[in-house]
Amino acid sequence: MPRYAMVIDLQRCVGCSACSISCRNENNVPDGIYWSNKITETSGTFPNVRYHYIPTLCNHCENAPCVRGCPTGAMHKLENGITMHNPKKCIGCKYCEFNCPYGVIYFNWTYPHKPWKSKEKVMEGTASPKEEVEKIGGNTIPYYNPEREDTLPGIRPKGVVEKCTFCDHRVKRGKLPRCVDACPADARVFGDMNDPNSKVRQLLGKFRPFRLREQIGTEPHVFYIRDFNPANYQPSKGGI
Amino acid sequence: MNQSKTSNGLFYTWLTVLGVAILIGLFAAFKLLTQGHHLFNANDVLIWSLPLGVYIYLALASSGLTLLASIPLVFGVKRFEPFAKRLIFLAIAALLGGFISIGLELGNVLHMVYILFSPNLSSPIWWMGAIYSLELVVLIFKFQRIHVGDWNSSTSKTLGKIGFICALIAPLMIGSVFGITESRVTYFGPIMSIYCLLMAILSGSALCLFYNLVNAQITGNGVSDDNDTLFKELTRVFTGSLGAVIILTLIKMFFEGSTVIPEFLNYHKFAQIFGSIAGINTEVLLGLFLPFVLISIPGLRYNHSTRMLTSALVLVGTLAMHMEILLAGQSRPVGPKAEQFPDVISYFPSIWEWIVFMLSIAVMLFLFSLGERFLKLESTPA
Repeated sequence: MPRYAMVIDLQRCVGCSACSISCRNENNVPDGIYWSNKITETSGTFPNVRYHYIPTLCNHCENAPCVRGCPTGAMHKLENGITMHNPKKCIGCKYCEFNCPYGVIYFNWTYPHKPWKSKEKVMEGTASPKEEVEKIGGNTIPYYNPEREDTLPGIRPKGVVEKCTFCDHRVKRGKLPRCVDACPADARVFGDMNDPNSKVRQLLGKFRPFRLREQIGTEPHVFYIRDFNPANYQPSKGGI
Repeated sequence: MNQSKTSNGLFYTWLTVLGVAILIGLFAAFKLLTQGHHLFNANDVLIWSLPLGVYIYLALASSGLTLLASIPLVFGVKRFEPFAKRLIFLAIAALLGGFISIGLELGNVLHMVYILFSPNLSSPIWWMGAIYSLELVVLIFKFQRIHVGDWNSSTSKTLGKIGFICALIAPLMIGSVFGITESRVTYFGPIMSIYCLLMAILSGSALCLFYNLVNAQITGNGVSDDNDTLFKELTRVFTGSLGAVIILTLIKMFFEGSTVIPEFLNYHKFAQIFGSIAGINTEVLLGLFLPFVLISIPGLRYNHSTRMLTSALVLVGTLAMHMEILLAGQSRPVGPKAEQFPDVISYFPSIWEWIVFMLSIAVMLFLFSLGERFLKLESTPA
């Protein structure tokens, strides 16, 4: 059984946010919720200033505090190591969100994609958001991706949490997670940690990786390598 | 309430006031179920707010009341029997109030069925929910046994013992919900469980003292000589638990003040949401230290007014302390949430949160009032 992981090359990452935008489209993520996000930090003062940009997502921890704490098993581990959520079992206690050391779990405080339910026209002669949605099938949002329904409700209801699933629905069909596919700089590499020949294993052997908050023992499966380091390797998106 | 001395009119007016509060609360519950929890002033950083604080407060008070009731019912200290039936009833009412509060805090209360069908035994929330649910059922059965005069059958005694064990473990579980959170070290690890247990005994004894004194005032029965001895003993339990919580709070303050772990430095900066007097949190000063000083003065400690004032201060103070711990640990965004939220989250409950608070307390008081009127809570074994 594979054990999936992601390596993010901070030297290649240009901070364009294509990962975040593609993630929203792929997973029908509502406003205010971020499955794919970033940590930014500006250090120093001009002209000796440096901007740090670390893309973030669910770390699919080996020892996931969210899974351990979930009272109903709604947050659970798949055999391939992906930390998955089942909204049908979620009681909305938000303990996973409270317990997550990485701030990557969000709660649906209200009905998702509310603005698209508005009957108010933007200006005279145009369609209202609701009419726009109805015109193209009525699936809550115009860019609705039905493929998401394979393993999770296409849009999660109010009162439950949601987070990145490593695009398990794509991985299941032998595709890379959408953020990996969409990265124009090939900064994200996805693959099987159990396969010694996988690209992720090669990169983790070649570069000294770090993980977020490693000291707390959660064993994240998102690794970061390099940071504007001159070392180089052949561009690749890895593979399943 | 003694029917002969308290007018029916006043009683039913009181019930009407509580009934109106409950109706308003039910409307809020409907709004929450249909519109979602954006009605609360909580967000993805400050995740748990007033309703959860109220749940912790009432659930711990309920455990404290059950532990006190166990003195006569489990450990056989017969002189405490006049308090026993009332304590069990108060514990049931307080726990129901707490359940209402947490029920309205949950995003999808109907999925609670999976607590039974898909339990996760590594989850402290599961254990907390399971043990408090068991405690509630056991207390209801125990009350029923006592109500029909069965104080000492093996069934009744077994129910008392199970209730005692539940009341002992449940606060530890509430503490562990916070204590095992890797991402929030300021919640103090295992100390939180001990803290919650002590807070349960303190708030239980404060509620018992306050309620019984208020009840004696309202019914006009006063405190009999027999009961005065009991009140003295109860005051000792109250003072002892107050002292224990003060010691733990001082240890906590010492650690918070002396460590240089970044999380604690941040926590310390924002852990005085109710303000401070001479550097000490207001709620700790007025809700713990002041009552302890007052109740320790020999000339005042057996005075009913002092007992009522100190227990009232503790009841308000413990709620404030729970809120303070709950909020201060969530005041700063974790990881990338700092990109969407300010460095520090300020919080004041929304009207809907206040209504949930009001509903929980109103249900509890409604039950107290009905029980006092119709269930002969002062009865003792024949």
